[in-house]
Amino acid sequence: MRVTRWLVIAALASACSAPSATEQTTTEAALVQSEKKTSTDPAVNPDAAALADFKVRVEKYADLHKQLAKGEARPQETADPAKISSTKTALAAKVQAARTDAKQGDMFTPAARPVFRRLVASELKGEDARDTKAVLKDDAPATGAVPFKVNAKYPEKLPLPTVPANVLLSLPPLPAPLEYRIVGPHLLLLDTAADLVVDYLLNVVPT
Amino acid sequence: MRRALVFALVLVLPLAAAAQELRLPNKDGSLKFAVIGDSGEPSSGQTAVAQQMNRWRARFPFKFSLMVGDNLYGSEGARDYQRKFSDPYKALIDGGVQFYAALGNHDDGAQTQYKLFNMNGQKYYTFKPQNGVRFFALDSNYVDQKQLQWLDKELAASGSDWKIAFFHHPLYSSGSTHGSADLQRGLIEPVFMKYGVNVVFTGHEHFYERIKPQKGVAYFIIGSSSKLRHGDLQKSALTLYGNDSDYAFMLVEIDGDELFFQTISDKGVTLDAGSIRRAGDVAPGQNVTTQPVVPQTKPSPVQPGPKK
Repeated sequence: MRVTRWLVIAALASACSAPSATEQTTTEAALVQSEKKTSTDPAVNPDAAALADFKVRVEKYADLHKQLAKGEARPQETADPAKISSTKTALAAKVQAARTDAKQGDMFTPAARPVFRRLVASELKGEDARDTKAVLKDDAPATGAVPFKVNAKYPEKLPLPTVPANVLLSLPPLPAPLEYRIVGPHLLLLDTAADLVVDYLLNVVPT
Repeated sequence: MRRALVFALVLVLPLAAAAQELRLPNKDGSLKFAVIGDSGEPSSGQTAVAQQMNRWRARFPFKFSLMVGDNLYGSEGARDYQRKFSDPYKALIDGGVQFYAALGNHDDGAQTQYKLFNMNGQKYYTFKPQNGVRFFALDSNYVDQKQLQWLDKELAASGSDWKIAFFHHPLYSSGSTHGSADLQRGLIEPVFMKYGVNVVFTGHEHFYERIKPQKGVAYFIIGSSSKLRHGDLQKSALTLYGNDSDYAFMLVEIDGDELFFQTISDKGVTLDAGSIRRAGDVAPGQNVTTQPVVPQTKPSPVQPGPKK
Protein backbone atom coordinates (compact mmCIF):
# COMPACT_ATOMS: atom_id res chain seq x y z
CA MET A 1 0.00 0.00 0.00
CA ARG A 2 2.75 2.37 1.06
CA VAL A 3 4.83 1.46 -2.08
CA THR A 4 1.85 2.11 -4.32
CA ARG A 5 1.34 5.52 -2.73
CA TRP A 6 5.00 6.42 -3.32
CA LEU A 7 4.77 5.26 -6.91
CA VAL A 8 1.77 7.53 -7.47
CA ILE A 9 3.58 10.47 -5.86
CA ALA A 10 6.70 9.82 -7.98
CA ALA A 11 4.65 9.64 -11.16
CA LEU A 12 2.92 12.92 -10.31
CA ALA A 13 6.21 14.63 -9.50
CA SER A 14 7.71 13.41 -12.74
CA ALA A 15 4.74 14.70 -14.71
CA CYS A 16 5.05 18.10 -13.04
CA SER A 17 8.80 18.52 -13.57
CA ALA A 18 8.72 18.59 -17.39
CA PRO A 19 6.36 20.88 -19.23
CA SER A 20 3.62 18.88 -20.84
CA ALA A 21 2.87 18.97 -24.54
CA THR A 22 -0.29 20.91 -23.81
CA GLU A 23 1.38 23.58 -21.66
CA GLN A 24 0.95 27.08 -23.09
CA THR A 25 4.05 28.50 -24.77
CA THR A 26 5.01 32.16 -24.39
CA THR A 27 3.84 32.69 -27.97
CA GLU A 28 0.43 31.22 -27.19
CA ALA A 29 0.24 33.41 -24.07
CA ALA A 30 1.18 36.47 -26.17
CA LEU A 31 -1.55 35.64 -28.67
CA VAL A 32 -4.13 35.34 -25.89
CA GLN A 33 -3.02 38.73 -24.53
CA SER A 34 -3.15 40.20 -28.01
CA GLU A 35 -6.69 38.98 -28.52
CA LYS A 36 -7.74 40.56 -25.22
CA LYS A 37 -6.06 43.87 -25.98
CA THR A 38 -7.63 44.15 -29.40
CA SER A 39 -10.98 42.56 -28.62
CA THR A 40 -14.14 44.26 -29.85
CA ASP A 41 -16.12 42.69 -27.02
CA PRO A 42 -17.02 45.35 -24.42
CA ALA A 43 -17.09 42.69 -21.71
CA VAL A 44 -13.36 42.06 -22.26
CA ASN A 45 -11.97 45.38 -23.44
CA PRO A 46 -12.83 48.94 -22.35
CA ASP A 47 -11.67 50.17 -25.80
CA ALA A 48 -14.01 47.79 -27.60
CA ALA A 49 -16.27 50.44 -29.14
CA ALA A 50 -13.44 52.39 -30.79
CA LEU A 51 -11.79 49.19 -32.00
CA ALA A 52 -15.08 47.78 -33.35
CA ASP A 53 -15.59 50.96 -35.34
CA PHE A 54 -12.00 50.75 -36.65
CA LYS A 55 -12.60 47.14 -37.65
CA VAL A 56 -15.70 48.08 -39.65
CA ARG A 57 -13.77 50.81 -41.45
CA VAL A 58 -10.78 48.68 -42.42
CA GLU A 59 -13.04 45.83 -43.54
CA LYS A 60 -15.00 48.25 -45.70
CA TYR A 61 -11.70 49.35 -47.25
CA ALA A 62 -10.68 45.73 -47.86
CA ASP A 63 -14.02 45.05 -49.58
CA LEU A 64 -13.55 48.06 -51.83
CA HIS A 65 -10.03 46.91 -52.65
CA LYS A 66 -11.33 43.45 -53.55
CA GLN A 67 -13.93 44.93 -55.90
CA LEU A 68 -11.30 47.07 -57.61
CA ALA A 69 -8.64 44.37 -57.92
CA LYS A 70 -10.11 42.93 -61.07
CA GLY A 71 -9.17 42.77 -64.74
CA GLU A 72 -5.87 44.53 -65.39
CA ALA A 73 -5.68 45.44 -61.68
CA ARG A 74 -5.87 41.86 -60.41
CA PRO A 75 -2.56 40.69 -58.93
CA GLN A 76 -1.67 37.26 -60.24
CA GLU A 77 1.37 35.09 -60.55
CA THR A 78 3.47 35.88 -63.60
CA ALA A 79 6.97 35.39 -64.93
CA ASP A 80 6.78 38.83 -66.52
CA PRO A 81 7.90 41.56 -64.10
CA ALA A 82 6.42 44.23 -66.39
CA LYS A 83 3.01 42.72 -65.66
CA ILE A 84 3.64 43.00 -61.90
CA SER A 85 4.40 46.71 -62.25
CA SER A 86 1.49 47.45 -64.57
CA THR A 87 -0.96 45.60 -62.30
CA LYS A 88 0.19 47.59 -59.30
CA THR A 89 -0.05 50.89 -61.20
CA ALA A 90 -3.55 50.04 -62.47
CA LEU A 91 -4.69 48.98 -58.99
CA ALA A 92 -3.31 52.13 -57.37
CA ALA A 93 -5.02 54.32 -59.97
CA LYS A 94 -8.38 52.59 -59.41
CA VAL A 95 -8.13 52.88 -55.62
CA GLN A 96 -7.11 56.54 -55.83
CA ALA A 97 -10.00 57.26 -58.20
CA ALA A 98 -12.49 55.49 -55.96
CA ARG A 99 -11.30 57.35 -52.86
CA THR A 100 -10.91 60.92 -54.00
CA ASP A 101 -12.73 62.10 -50.88
CA ALA A 102 -10.58 60.06 -48.51
CA LYS A 103 -8.87 62.07 -45.80
CA GLN A 104 -6.75 61.66 -42.72
CA GLY A 105 -8.79 60.26 -39.85
CA ASP A 106 -11.11 58.09 -41.95
CA MET A 107 -9.61 55.02 -40.28
CA PHE A 108 -7.82 56.48 -37.27
CA THR A 109 -10.88 58.42 -36.13
CA PRO A 110 -10.67 60.88 -33.21
CA ALA A 111 -12.12 58.15 -30.99
CA ALA A 112 -9.57 55.56 -32.14
CA ARG A 113 -6.47 57.78 -31.93
CA PRO A 114 -5.96 57.73 -28.15
CA VAL A 115 -6.48 53.95 -28.14
CA PHE A 116 -3.76 53.41 -30.76
CA ARG A 117 -1.41 55.80 -28.96
CA ARG A 118 -1.95 53.88 -25.74
CA LEU A 119 -1.48 50.49 -27.38
CA VAL A 120 1.80 51.52 -29.02
CA ALA A 121 3.07 53.30 -25.89
CA SER A 122 2.43 50.21 -23.77
CA GLU A 123 5.06 48.34 -25.83
CA LEU A 124 7.64 51.06 -25.37
CA LYS A 125 7.83 50.57 -21.65
CA GLY A 126 9.36 47.75 -19.66
CA GLU A 127 11.93 45.15 -20.62
CA ASP A 128 11.25 45.11 -24.37
CA ALA A 129 11.37 48.91 -24.76
CA ARG A 130 15.02 49.11 -25.80
CA ASP A 131 14.67 46.33 -28.40
CA THR A 132 11.46 47.87 -29.70
CA LYS A 133 13.10 51.25 -30.20
CA ALA A 134 16.09 49.61 -31.87
CA VAL A 135 13.83 47.83 -34.39
CA LEU A 136 12.03 51.10 -35.14
CA LYS A 137 15.38 52.64 -36.09
CA ASP A 138 16.75 49.61 -37.96
CA ASP A 139 16.97 50.44 -41.67
CA ALA A 140 14.12 52.91 -41.18
CA PRO A 141 13.51 55.45 -43.94
CA ALA A 142 13.81 59.13 -43.04
CA THR A 143 10.42 60.57 -42.13
CA GLY A 144 10.88 63.31 -44.76
CA ALA A 145 11.15 60.68 -47.50
CA VAL A 146 7.68 59.24 -46.85
CA PRO A 147 4.59 61.26 -47.85
CA PHE A 148 2.16 61.51 -44.97
CA LYS A 149 -0.77 62.08 -47.29
CA VAL A 150 -3.80 59.89 -47.82
CA ASN A 151 -3.81 58.20 -51.26
CA ALA A 152 -0.11 59.03 -51.81
CA LYS A 153 2.19 56.31 -53.14
CA TYR A 154 4.73 54.87 -50.72
CA PRO A 155 8.08 55.56 -52.43
CA GLU A 156 9.13 52.50 -54.42
CA LYS A 157 12.83 52.74 -53.64
CA LEU A 158 12.45 52.95 -49.87
CA PRO A 159 12.63 49.88 -47.64
CA LEU A 160 9.47 49.04 -45.74
CA PRO A 161 10.31 49.46 -42.07
CA THR A 162 9.98 46.28 -40.03
CA VAL A 163 7.24 46.55 -37.43
CA PRO A 164 8.35 45.36 -33.97
CA ALA A 165 6.55 42.07 -33.43
CA ASN A 166 5.37 43.03 -29.93
CA VAL A 167 3.86 46.29 -31.25
CA LEU A 168 2.15 44.39 -34.03
CA LEU A 169 0.54 41.99 -31.57
CA SER A 170 -0.78 44.89 -29.53
CA LEU A 171 -2.56 46.47 -32.51
CA PRO A 172 -5.89 45.31 -33.98
CA PRO A 173 -5.38 42.72 -36.76
CA LEU A 174 -5.93 43.99 -40.29
CA PRO A 175 -7.53 42.36 -43.31
CA ALA A 176 -5.30 41.92 -46.38
CA PRO A 177 -3.88 43.93 -48.08
CA LEU A 178 -3.64 46.42 -45.21
CA GLU A 179 -0.55 46.56 -42.99
CA TYR A 180 0.77 48.88 -40.32
CA ARG A 181 4.17 50.54 -40.67
CA ILE A 182 5.90 52.89 -38.29
CA VAL A 183 8.05 55.59 -39.85
CA GLY A 184 9.87 57.70 -37.30
CA PRO A 185 7.26 58.44 -34.63
CA HIS A 186 4.30 58.09 -37.02
CA LEU A 187 1.95 55.18 -37.73
CA LEU A 188 1.02 54.46 -41.34
CA LEU A 189 -1.82 52.32 -42.59
CA LEU A 190 -0.67 50.99 -45.97
CA ASP A 191 -2.39 49.19 -48.80
CA THR A 192 0.55 46.90 -49.56
CA ALA A 193 -0.86 45.64 -52.87
CA ALA A 194 -1.25 49.15 -54.30
CA ASP A 195 1.52 50.76 -52.19
CA LEU A 196 -0.85 53.51 -51.08
CA VAL A 197 -1.13 55.41 -47.84
CA VAL A 198 -4.64 54.69 -46.59
CA ASP A 199 -4.39 56.72 -43.38
CA TYR A 200 -1.80 57.83 -40.86
CA LEU A 201 -1.53 58.86 -37.26
CA LEU A 202 1.17 61.32 -36.32
CA ASN A 203 3.38 61.09 -33.24
CA VAL A 204 2.08 57.75 -32.07
CA VAL A 205 5.50 56.77 -30.70
CA PRO A 206 6.21 58.71 -27.52
CA THR A 207 9.53 60.55 -27.50
CA MET B 1 64.76 32.63 -55.03
CA ARG B 2 63.76 29.78 -57.33
CA ARG B 3 63.81 27.38 -54.40
CA ALA B 4 61.52 29.68 -52.44
CA LEU B 5 59.09 29.81 -55.33
CA VAL B 6 59.01 26.03 -55.64
CA PHE B 7 58.56 25.74 -51.90
CA ALA B 8 55.67 28.22 -51.99
CA LEU B 9 54.00 26.36 -54.84
CA VAL B 10 54.38 23.03 -53.09
CA LEU B 11 52.80 24.52 -50.00
CA VAL B 12 50.06 26.61 -51.60
CA LEU B 13 48.81 24.40 -54.42
CA PRO B 14 47.52 21.54 -52.23
CA LEU B 15 45.81 24.06 -49.97
CA ALA B 16 44.15 25.75 -52.94
CA ALA B 17 43.04 22.38 -54.31
CA ALA B 18 41.68 21.37 -50.91
CA ALA B 19 39.67 24.59 -50.75
CA GLN B 20 38.00 23.63 -54.05
CA GLU B 21 36.98 20.18 -52.84
CA LEU B 22 33.33 19.28 -52.56
CA ARG B 23 32.84 18.42 -48.92
CA LEU B 24 29.36 16.94 -49.25
CA PRO B 25 28.46 13.26 -49.73
CA ASN B 26 26.72 14.02 -53.07
CA LYS B 27 24.68 10.84 -52.77
CA ASP B 28 22.05 9.68 -55.23
CA GLY B 29 18.58 10.35 -53.87
CA SER B 30 19.65 12.87 -51.22
CA LEU B 31 18.09 16.35 -51.13
CA LYS B 32 20.48 18.93 -52.53
CA PHE B 33 19.91 22.67 -52.43
CA ALA B 34 21.68 26.02 -52.24
CA VAL B 35 21.05 29.07 -50.04
CA ILE B 36 21.69 32.72 -50.88
CA GLY B 37 20.84 35.83 -48.93
CA ASP B 38 20.71 39.60 -49.42
CA SER B 39 21.37 38.70 -53.01
CA GLY B 40 19.60 41.50 -54.89
CA GLU B 41 22.33 44.08 -55.34
CA PRO B 42 23.90 44.18 -58.79
CA SER B 43 27.59 43.97 -57.92
CA SER B 44 30.76 42.18 -58.88
CA GLY B 45 30.21 39.99 -55.80
CA GLN B 46 26.72 39.02 -56.96
CA THR B 47 28.00 38.07 -60.41
CA ALA B 48 30.87 36.06 -58.97
CA VAL B 49 28.61 34.21 -56.52
CA ALA B 50 26.15 33.35 -59.29
CA GLN B 51 28.99 32.08 -61.47
CA GLN B 52 30.41 29.98 -58.66
CA MET B 53 26.97 28.51 -57.92
CA ASN B 54 26.69 27.46 -61.53
CA ARG B 55 30.21 26.05 -61.55
CA TRP B 56 29.65 24.02 -58.37
CA ARG B 57 26.30 22.80 -59.63
CA ALA B 58 28.15 20.84 -62.30
CA ARG B 59 29.61 18.78 -59.43
CA PHE B 60 26.76 19.00 -56.96
CA PRO B 61 23.46 19.01 -58.88
CA PHE B 62 21.22 21.03 -56.56
CA LYS B 63 17.64 21.40 -57.76
CA PHE B 64 16.67 24.62 -55.99
CA SER B 65 17.95 27.56 -54.00
CA LEU B 66 16.45 29.30 -51.00
CA MET B 67 16.59 33.11 -50.95
CA VAL B 68 16.48 34.54 -47.43
CA GLY B 69 15.35 38.03 -48.39
CA ASP B 70 16.48 41.36 -49.81
CA ASN B 71 16.05 39.74 -53.17
CA LEU B 72 15.88 43.09 -55.00
CA TYR B 73 17.42 46.22 -53.50
CA GLY B 74 16.05 49.64 -54.42
CA SER B 75 13.50 50.09 -57.19
CA GLU B 76 11.54 47.08 -58.44
CA GLY B 77 10.53 47.90 -61.98
CA ALA B 78 10.56 45.27 -64.73
CA ARG B 79 14.15 46.10 -65.61
CA ASP B 80 15.18 45.67 -61.97
CA TYR B 81 13.91 42.08 -61.80
CA GLN B 82 16.10 41.38 -64.78
CA ARG B 83 19.19 43.35 -63.71
CA LYS B 84 19.10 42.23 -60.07
CA PHE B 85 17.90 38.63 -60.46
CA SER B 86 17.20 36.96 -63.77
CA ASP B 87 20.35 38.17 -65.56
CA PRO B 88 22.93 37.26 -62.90
CA TYR B 89 21.28 33.89 -62.21
CA LYS B 90 20.41 33.20 -65.86
CA ALA B 91 22.61 30.11 -66.18
CA LEU B 92 20.99 28.56 -63.09
CA ILE B 93 17.46 29.49 -64.19
CA ASP B 94 18.09 28.10 -67.67
CA GLY B 95 19.52 24.99 -66.06
CA GLY B 96 16.21 24.39 -64.27
CA VAL B 97 17.11 25.58 -60.77
CA GLN B 98 14.02 26.72 -58.86
CA PHE B 99 14.27 29.66 -56.46
CA TYR B 100 12.15 29.90 -53.31
CA ALA B 101 12.16 33.40 -51.85
CA ALA B 102 11.40 34.92 -48.47
CA LEU B 103 10.84 38.66 -48.16
CA GLY B 104 13.41 41.00 -46.64
CA ASN B 105 12.91 44.55 -45.45
CA HIS B 106 14.02 45.84 -48.87
CA ASP B 107 11.49 43.70 -50.74
CA ASP B 108 8.10 44.76 -52.01
CA GLY B 109 5.25 42.34 -51.34
CA ALA B 110 4.57 42.29 -55.10
CA GLN B 111 7.49 39.88 -55.42
CA THR B 112 5.08 37.21 -54.20
CA GLN B 113 3.54 37.33 -57.70
CA TYR B 114 6.83 36.68 -59.46
CA LYS B 115 6.65 33.13 -60.71
CA LEU B 116 10.41 32.61 -60.52
CA PHE B 117 10.32 33.20 -56.76
CA ASN B 118 7.74 30.39 -56.25
CA MET B 119 5.80 32.21 -53.53
CA ASN B 120 2.34 31.60 -55.03
CA GLY B 121 1.18 35.05 -54.02
CA GLN B 122 1.93 34.40 -50.32
CA LYS B 123 4.28 36.26 -47.99
CA TYR B 124 4.74 33.10 -45.97
CA TYR B 125 4.35 29.59 -47.27
CA THR B 126 5.55 26.03 -46.97
CA PHE B 127 6.77 23.46 -49.48
CA LYS B 128 7.99 19.90 -49.43
CA PRO B 129 10.43 19.17 -52.25
CA GLN B 130 11.03 15.59 -51.20
CA ASN B 131 9.61 13.12 -48.71
CA GLY B 132 10.92 13.75 -45.22
CA VAL B 133 11.90 17.41 -45.59
CA ARG B 134 9.63 20.45 -45.29
CA PHE B 135 10.54 24.11 -45.67
CA PHE B 136 8.81 27.11 -44.12
CA ALA B 137 9.33 30.58 -45.60
CA LEU B 138 8.38 33.30 -43.14
CA ASP B 139 7.89 37.05 -43.42
CA SER B 140 9.98 38.29 -40.50
CA ASN B 141 9.18 41.92 -41.37
CA TYR B 142 5.63 41.47 -40.19
CA VAL B 143 5.16 38.81 -37.51
CA ASP B 144 1.48 39.23 -36.75
CA GLN B 145 -1.22 37.04 -35.17
CA LYS B 146 -2.23 35.61 -38.51
CA GLN B 147 1.28 34.46 -39.42
CA LEU B 148 1.97 32.97 -35.98
CA GLN B 149 -1.28 31.01 -36.09
CA TRP B 150 -0.46 29.80 -39.59
CA LEU B 151 3.03 28.71 -38.51
CA ASP B 152 1.64 26.81 -35.53
CA LYS B 153 -0.87 24.99 -37.72
CA GLU B 154 1.58 24.12 -40.49
CA LEU B 155 4.31 22.94 -38.15
CA ALA B 156 1.81 20.84 -36.22
CA ALA B 157 0.89 19.10 -39.47
CA SER B 158 4.48 18.46 -40.56
CA GLY B 159 5.00 15.33 -38.47
CA SER B 160 8.47 13.83 -38.41
CA ASP B 161 9.86 15.66 -41.43
CA TRP B 162 13.03 17.68 -41.25
CA LYS B 163 11.68 21.17 -40.55
CA ILE B 164 13.71 23.94 -42.11
CA ALA B 165 12.68 27.57 -41.74
CA PHE B 166 14.07 30.45 -43.74
CA PHE B 167 13.44 34.15 -43.44
CA HIS B 168 15.26 37.45 -43.31
CA HIS B 169 15.95 38.60 -39.75
CA PRO B 170 18.40 36.44 -37.75
CA LEU B 171 17.03 35.30 -34.40
CA TYR B 172 20.66 34.99 -33.25
CA SER B 173 23.47 37.12 -34.63
CA SER B 174 26.83 38.56 -33.66
CA GLY B 175 26.51 41.48 -36.06
CA SER B 176 27.23 44.94 -34.77
CA THR B 177 24.90 46.67 -37.23
CA HIS B 178 21.74 44.68 -36.50
CA GLY B 179 22.39 41.90 -34.00
CA SER B 180 19.87 39.30 -32.88
CA ALA B 181 16.23 39.96 -33.72
CA ASP B 182 15.10 39.53 -30.12
CA LEU B 183 11.49 40.59 -30.59
CA GLN B 184 10.86 38.18 -33.45
CA ARG B 185 12.74 35.51 -31.50
CA GLY B 186 10.47 35.93 -28.48
CA LEU B 187 7.48 34.93 -30.60
CA ILE B 188 8.88 32.59 -33.24
CA GLU B 189 11.33 30.50 -31.22
CA PRO B 190 8.74 28.94 -28.85
CA VAL B 191 6.78 27.71 -31.90
CA PHE B 192 9.96 26.27 -33.41
CA MET B 193 10.73 24.48 -30.17
CA LYS B 194 7.23 23.15 -29.68
CA TYR B 195 7.24 21.45 -33.07
CA GLY B 196 10.92 20.60 -33.40
CA VAL B 197 12.23 22.93 -36.10
CA ASN B 198 15.74 21.69 -36.87
CA VAL B 199 17.48 24.29 -39.01
CA VAL B 200 17.01 28.01 -39.72
CA PHE B 201 18.59 30.04 -42.53
CA THR B 202 18.47 33.85 -42.34
CA GLY B 203 20.23 36.93 -43.71
CA HIS B 204 19.93 40.68 -43.05
CA GLU B 205 23.50 40.79 -41.78
CA HIS B 206 25.91 41.08 -44.69
CA PHE B 207 28.18 38.29 -43.60
CA TYR B 208 28.19 34.55 -42.99
CA GLU B 209 27.82 33.20 -39.47
CA ARG B 210 27.25 29.68 -38.22
CA ILE B 211 25.69 29.95 -34.81
CA LYS B 212 26.22 27.45 -32.03
CA PRO B 213 22.95 25.41 -31.95
CA GLN B 214 20.50 27.25 -29.75
CA LYS B 215 18.08 25.09 -27.79
CA GLY B 216 18.77 22.30 -30.25
CA VAL B 217 18.15 24.40 -33.38
CA ALA B 218 20.94 25.05 -35.93
CA TYR B 219 21.09 28.66 -37.19
CA PHE B 220 22.97 29.97 -40.21
CA ILE B 221 23.22 33.57 -41.39
CA ILE B 222 24.02 33.87 -45.07
CA GLY B 223 23.51 37.53 -45.98
CA SER B 224 26.61 38.06 -48.08
CA SER B 225 25.57 36.87 -51.53
CA SER B 226 25.73 40.34 -53.10
CA LYS B 227 26.59 42.73 -50.27
CA LEU B 228 29.35 42.66 -47.69
CA ARG B 229 29.79 44.56 -44.47
CA HIS B 230 33.48 44.18 -43.69
CA GLY B 231 34.32 44.09 -40.00
CA ASP B 232 30.70 43.94 -38.89
CA LEU B 233 30.86 40.45 -37.43
CA GLN B 234 31.90 40.71 -33.80
CA LYS B 235 32.51 37.03 -33.10
CA SER B 236 30.83 36.13 -29.84
CA ALA B 237 29.90 33.17 -27.69
CA LEU B 238 27.23 32.45 -30.31
CA THR B 239 29.73 32.08 -33.14
CA LEU B 240 30.95 28.70 -34.32
CA TYR B 241 32.35 30.14 -37.53
CA GLY B 242 32.06 33.51 -39.23
CA ASN B 243 33.30 35.39 -42.25
CA ASP B 244 32.66 39.01 -43.19
CA SER B 245 35.30 39.40 -45.85
CA ASP B 246 34.00 37.22 -48.71
CA TYR B 247 30.79 37.11 -50.70
CA ALA B 248 29.28 33.67 -50.14
CA PHE B 249 26.57 31.09 -50.75
CA MET B 250 25.79 27.72 -49.20
CA LEU B 251 25.34 24.22 -50.54
CA VAL B 252 23.31 21.83 -48.38
CA GLU B 253 22.59 18.13 -48.58
CA ILE B 254 20.15 16.10 -46.49
CA ASP B 255 20.57 12.38 -46.36
CA GLY B 256 18.39 10.56 -43.84
CA ASP B 257 18.95 12.10 -40.43
CA GLU B 258 22.12 13.93 -41.48
CA LEU B 259 22.47 17.39 -42.96
CA PHE B 260 25.76 18.43 -44.58
CA PHE B 261 26.66 22.01 -45.45
CA GLN B 262 29.45 23.75 -47.31
CA THR B 263 29.81 27.51 -47.51
CA ILE B 264 31.70 28.76 -50.53
CA SER B 265 33.08 32.17 -51.41
CA ASP B 266 32.78 34.15 -54.63
CA LYS B 267 36.25 32.87 -55.49
CA GLY B 268 35.18 29.25 -55.13
CA VAL B 269 37.00 28.76 -51.84
CA THR B 270 35.38 26.71 -49.09
CA LEU B 271 34.89 28.93 -46.05
CA ASP B 272 33.08 26.47 -43.81
CA ALA B 273 31.83 22.90 -43.94
CA GLY B 274 30.37 20.37 -41.57
CA SER B 275 27.36 18.32 -40.71
CA ILE B 276 24.66 17.95 -38.12
CA ARG B 277 22.50 15.05 -37.16
CA ARG B 278 18.94 14.87 -35.89
CA ALA B 279 19.01 13.42 -32.43
CA GLY B 280 15.43 12.09 -32.43
CA ASP B 281 12.35 13.22 -30.56
CA VAL B 282 12.62 14.53 -27.01
CA ALA B 283 9.94 15.60 -24.54
CA PRO B 284 8.76 19.22 -24.76
CA GLY B 285 10.85 21.47 -22.52
CA GLN B 286 11.68 25.09 -21.88
CA ASN B 287 15.20 24.95 -23.25
CA VAL B 288 15.26 22.45 -26.02
CA THR B 289 13.37 21.89 -29.22
CA THR B 290 11.44 18.65 -29.52
CA GLN B 291 13.63 17.43 -32.42
CA PRO B 292 17.10 18.79 -31.64
CA VAL B 293 20.14 18.62 -33.86
CA VAL B 294 23.68 17.94 -32.74
CA PRO B 295 26.87 18.95 -34.54
CA GLN B 296 28.81 15.93 -35.76
CA THR B 297 32.41 15.48 -34.82
CA LYS B 298 33.27 13.21 -37.72
CA PRO B 299 34.89 15.09 -40.61
CA SER B 300 32.90 16.03 -43.68
CA PRO B 301 33.31 13.68 -46.61
CA VAL B 302 35.74 14.99 -49.15
CA GLN B 303 35.25 14.63 -52.90
CA PRO B 304 38.21 15.42 -55.14
CA GLY B 305 38.45 18.92 -56.57
CA PRO B 306 38.03 19.70 -60.26
CA LYS B 307 40.66 18.38 -62.62
CA LYS B 308 43.16 21.00 -63.69
